[in-house]
Amino acid sequence: MPEFSVIVGPQHPALKEPESFTFWVDGEDVVRAEVRIGYAHRGIEKAAESRTYIQNIPLIERICGICNVAHTICYTQNVEYLYGREIPRRAEYIRTIIEELNRIHSHLLWIGIAGHEIGFDTLLMYVWRDREVVMDLIEEMTGNRVSTALMTVGGVTRDITPELATRIRKGLDILEERTKYYEKIASGESTILARTKGIGILTREEALKHCAVGPTLRASGIKSDIRADDPYAAHDEVPFDVITTDTCDLFGRVVVRVYETIEAIRQVRYCLDNLPSGPVRIRLPNTPPRGESVSRVEAPRGEDIHYVRSDGTDRPARYKVRAPTLGNLASLVEMLTSKGDYRVRVADIPIVLAGIDPCMCCMDRTSRFIEPSKGKEWVWTWNQLRKYGRMRER
Amino acid sequence: MNLEREERFVSEIKELLGDKISEIKVQRARSVFVTVKAEDYKDSIRKIVEKFGITHISTMTGADSGQTIDVMPHLSHAGMKITFKAAVPKTAAEIDTLTDMLPGAVMYEREVHDLLGVNFKGHPNLAKLVISDDWPSDVYPLRKEYKVVRPEPIRKT
Amino acid sequence: MGVDLESAQEIRENEGKIMAMQRELLRHIFKKAVTLRYPFKDKEKVHIPSDFRGKIAFHRDQCIGCSMCFRVCPAEVIEMIDDEKGKRPMFYLDRCTHCAQCEDVCPTKAIELTAQYESAGTDRTQMILK
Repeated sequence: MPEFSVIVGPQHPALKEPESFTFWVDGEDVVRAEVRIGYAHRGIEKAAESRTYIQNIPLIERICGICNVAHTICYTQNVEYLYGREIPRRAEYIRTIIEELNRIHSHLLWIGIAGHEIGFDTLLMYVWRDREVVMDLIEEMTGNRVSTALMTVGGVTRDITPELATRIRKGLDILEERTKYYEKIASGESTILARTKGIGILTREEALKHCAVGPTLRASGIKSDIRADDPYAAHDEVPFDVITTDTCDLFGRVVVRVYETIEAIRQVRYCLDNLPSGPVRIRLPNTPPRGESVSRVEAPRGEDIHYVRSDGTDRPARYKVRAPTLGNLASLVEMLTSKGDYRVRVADIPIVLAGIDPCMCCMDRTSRFIEPSKGKEWVWTWNQLRKYGRMRER
Repeated sequence: MNLEREERFVSEIKELLGDKISEIKVQRARSVFVTVKAEDYKDSIRKIVEKFGITHISTMTGADSGQTIDVMPHLSHAGMKITFKAAVPKTAAEIDTLTDMLPGAVMYEREVHDLLGVNFKGHPNLAKLVISDDWPSDVYPLRKEYKVVRPEPIRKT
Repeated sequence: MGVDLESAQEIRENEGKIMAMQRELLRHIFKKAVTLRYPFKDKEKVHIPSDFRGKIAFHRDQCIGCSMCFRVCPAEVIEMIDDEKGKRPMFYLDRCTHCAQCEDVCPTKAIELTAQYESAGTDRTQMILK
């Protein structure tokens, strides 16, 4: 049968993020997939070399809106390792609290998006209404609903008062009740089961071979979580379970994320109950000693790894970020390829793409214009594009 | 801080690689840095991967160090981060690929190739990954020679 | 859709029921809408925490001109100028990212991020805080 290719992206109603996929299809089955990224590349690694370590904190925070806590914890940890200094224990507990609240936020957002991608907008609306609860908690703690700005090199900037802790506990009770309801829906509603069971299969061997990370890896039965294997912040003391399933498909990823949300709620409760007393930050000099350091955190999407090299000045000589979605890209292409009895249909593409919880802005850090009606294709420099945009609105 | 496990790991690596190691140190808990020469890069990594059964490569960093470029794959095994480092000269920046033993490295080597211009010999597909198709092929943004030019503001209000 | 009739029947038999959310949906017919109208009719009813990171306010008499705020700002919002009392910052508020690093580092608490969240404008020259 003749094959032809379908291009999905970079702008497409099914996708929330800019990426370009070319699918070669045979009837309704996808036989091959190719991916092209880089549409949101902003040159953050280069920008980080011309700013001081303190000025870099908001820059690193803006790598991703939803996982901003993971990136800032990884960055400040990395720089603190360069100094070789330990931060106060209370600061590590506060970092863990905001990190797990961020994880609850990200997973609730994902459950809504997954519902939207399969056409179940009711689930999207209800879950996003409950997401407001966790966003209000984050606003009480940090001053803004999504972008937290709580980290600094040497600790955190704000403390948690006992009144705030009471408010957080109340919010957690509401969230736990609602998440348990969504767990019932996700495993009991037949439309979700029909659209996610047996779809987007990534076997255990393939997951290890392509170095998948995060819930994508854990849904294929591999017990690997940075919080358990390579603990950071307060994760060496806060008890939690690493959630895995062995279904290797999209349904497994939904289940892993729902249970991780419940575990995150428990972890925040434990941290609030056992918050050690003491200061929340130490003052460190502007210039770290020469050296290099690697640090990893478990972002909501997977393993996030940063590398820093210091040459004795107050600006980093090299800062490297590998966000989790890039680690899942090779597995994504594997999931989207039909082989043997496993067929991927064109209608499954949006939910499989959403299944790895892609965050393209995390992954990329320039464009070509095509006007098919006129048959023109041209390239603009950055300045030309800005001029065009400004002149048009006049 | 108890670094017994890391020290044992380091002595096992030393036993395996012998004098191929230029420098090896335990940076801190669960973080080991190993420096090798570019000629021994692939062989040393193959020995370590086979001995410990490593399957996970976290990422590959490239860093401009003046006259050379450091190629640094970060491997992960049982919670430990093992960072290998090999320096290649800027004028002849090429090194062996790791994709035959660690297939997860395909994307990371493409990224280092795009942004720093290191050629990975034997890589299945070194097409552009993160920069646009029309980017000039001899300009490498992350090298120190490439200076970022701030655009002038067009609107004053 | 990728599911043929036979497997749909199987799912219905084994687990899962259609419209598992119907009870919840029926309950919500009699509830108020969750979305709030904007512009807010009654601003006092909207709860903004007191330490919300909003628009910058500057207390001139507390400033000692140390320039620490200038050194930590990531977005070049602050420019140090001289006035009759000495050196002090001037803020280009259109560039501000509300990261609160200037407020955090100021030794005399001269910079404060208020709870004002409506700070959009159409003219950059009107958004300079002197």
